[in-house]
Amino acid sequence: MNADDWLRTLAAELHQRRVAADAARHVVAEAATHLREGGGDPWVVFGPPQQYAGAIVESIGTAPGPRPGPVRLHARGITKRYGRRTVLHDATLTVRAGQIAAVIGANGCGKSTFLRICAGLISPDAGDVTVSGQLGYCPQSGGTADFLLADEHFVLVGAGQGVARGPARRAGRAAARQLGWEAGGDVQARHLSGGTRQKLNLTMSTLSQPDVLLLDEPYQGFDQGTYVNFWDQLGRLRDAGTAIVVVTHLLNQLDRVDTVLDLTPAQQTGRRAPAVQGGHP
Amino acid sequence: MNRLVTVAEMTLRELLRRRGVLLLLLLMPLTFYLIRRDAYLGQSVRSLLLGVGWAVSTAALFATTAARELEPRLRLAGYRPHHLYLGRMLGLWMVGLVISVPFFLLPMVDGADLRYGGLAAALLCSVGVAAPFGMLIGALLPRELEGTLLLLTVVTVQMLIDPAGSGAKLTPFWSTREIATWAVDHTDQGYLARGVLHGLAVTALLALGVAAVANVRLRRRRHLRHLPVG
Repeated sequence: MNADDWLRTLAAELHQRRVAADAARHVVAEAATHLREGGGDPWVVFGPPQQYAGAIVESIGTAPGPRPGPVRLHARGITKRYGRRTVLHDATLTVRAGQIAAVIGANGCGKSTFLRICAGLISPDAGDVTVSGQLGYCPQSGGTADFLLADEHFVLVGAGQGVARGPARRAGRAAARQLGWEAGGDVQARHLSGGTRQKLNLTMSTLSQPDVLLLDEPYQGFDQGTYVNFWDQLGRLRDAGTAIVVVTHLLNQLDRVDTVLDLTPAQQTGRRAPAVQGGHP
Repeated sequence: MNRLVTVAEMTLRELLRRRGVLLLLLLMPLTFYLIRRDAYLGQSVRSLLLGVGWAVSTAALFATTAARELEPRLRLAGYRPHHLYLGRMLGLWMVGLVISVPFFLLPMVDGADLRYGGLAAALLCSVGVAAPFGMLIGALLPRELEGTLLLLTVVTVQMLIDPAGSGAKLTPFWSTREIATWAVDHTDQGYLARGVLHGLAVTALLALGVAAVANVRLRRRRHLRHLPVG
C-alpha cells in the first residue's frame, strides 16, 4: 500500500467512524502534508490507517449520527426446528430505520435460517415478524441467473417494481459503481468471478430501494477494497434511513453496527453491541 | 403485463444463450425422425412429435430448476407468483414454437403425403403440453437428475403403450399421437377432435398444477406481517 492508498483508506475509515466531514478532510490533508514534507512510509510514521483513525476518533470525537427512526423490523420469539434439532429458540430482534444490526454466531447456529424467516422465505415453528415498508434480501450465494447479463438482472428486478428498463439499468449500474464495479459489460453472470457475482447479488437487493435490507454474508469473495466499499455503502444506506440486518462472522466489524443478535446457543436473546461507536447510542 | 413479458423475455434469452442445449433440442426430434425413416412414415412423424415434446419438457424442467433460487427474491422485488410461472411458460412456449418450425418443414422437404394443418396442430399440442409438463416436474422435484429420470420414464411409457388402450389417455402426449394419426393416415375427424380436446385439457390441468405448486412455494407466510411505512 503506497501513501495515496494509505490516505484513501484513512479517509474511508474516518467516514465510516462518522468523523465530521470537515474534520476528516482536515486530518487527511494534514497527514498528506506531513508525508509530503517529511517523507517516510505512512505505516511507519502513523501506523495502520485503521489504528490511526481510531486514535483520531478518540481525540476529536465523532459527528452525532441521525436519531434512529421508527421500528422497521421486529422479529419476536422466533423458534425453528429441523426434526428434533432446534436451530433457533426464541430469537428476538428489533431494527429501526437508520440502524445496522449484525446477526452473529457459530456455524450452523441458524443465522441464515433467521434471515430467511425474516424475509418470509421459510416459516418458523413459533414467533412472528413485522416489517414496515419494502423488503430487500441478498442470499449468501445463488439468486442470480447464470445466462443473463448484469443489465438484464437489473431490468428483471426493476420490472417487479414497475421501473422502466432504462432507469432500472442506470440505477443498477450506479449501485454497482458504489461497490467499485462497472456493471455495464457484455458478460453473462456465469462468467463473473465469485466476488463480482456477489456484487451483482448485492446490487439486486438494493435496487428496489428497500426500507428493510437483509444481507446474508454478502461479502464472500470480496477483496479488501470492495469490502471497504461494501461497508461504506451500508453506511450510506443507513444514513438514508434504511434498516439493515447483516449476517456476519467477522467480529471486527461489530463496532460499525448498532445492534447485535448473537445466536450462539445459550446467548440467544438480542443484545446491544458491546462497543457501539460512531455516535449511535 | 410488463412483469409477465419481462419474465418471458428473460426465459427466452437464457435458453437462446444455451447453444449446446439448443443443439440438443434440435437433435433429439431429428434423431427420432431419422431412426424410424426407413419404416412406416406415420411412425416416423409420431416419433418426431414425441421428440419435440420430450425436448421442450426437458428444457422446461431445467429452466424451472435453474430459477428456483431466483424466484423467491423476485417475489420480494414485487412479482406475484403468476407473473413468474406464466412468464416462464410463455417463454418456453415461444422457444418450443421456434424449434418446431424446422420440424414442420422436415417432412415437407422429405416429400411426405400429410395433412400439414394436422402436423402443425400436433406440433402446437406437443409444445403446449410439454412446457407445463416439464415445469410441473421441475417444481415438484428439486433435483434435475430425478426430474430427468421421471421424464424419461413418462416418455418411454408413451412410446411403448398401446394407444388404443384406455391407459394411454392418461399419458400427457396422447393428444399429439391422435392428431398425428389424423394427419398421417388421413383418418376421420374424430381423431383430430379427440386430440385437440385432450391436448387442451391436459395443458390446462398441467398449468393449474404448476400454478398450485408455485402459489404454495411462493406464498406469503403467515408469520410475516407487512405494514406500510409510517
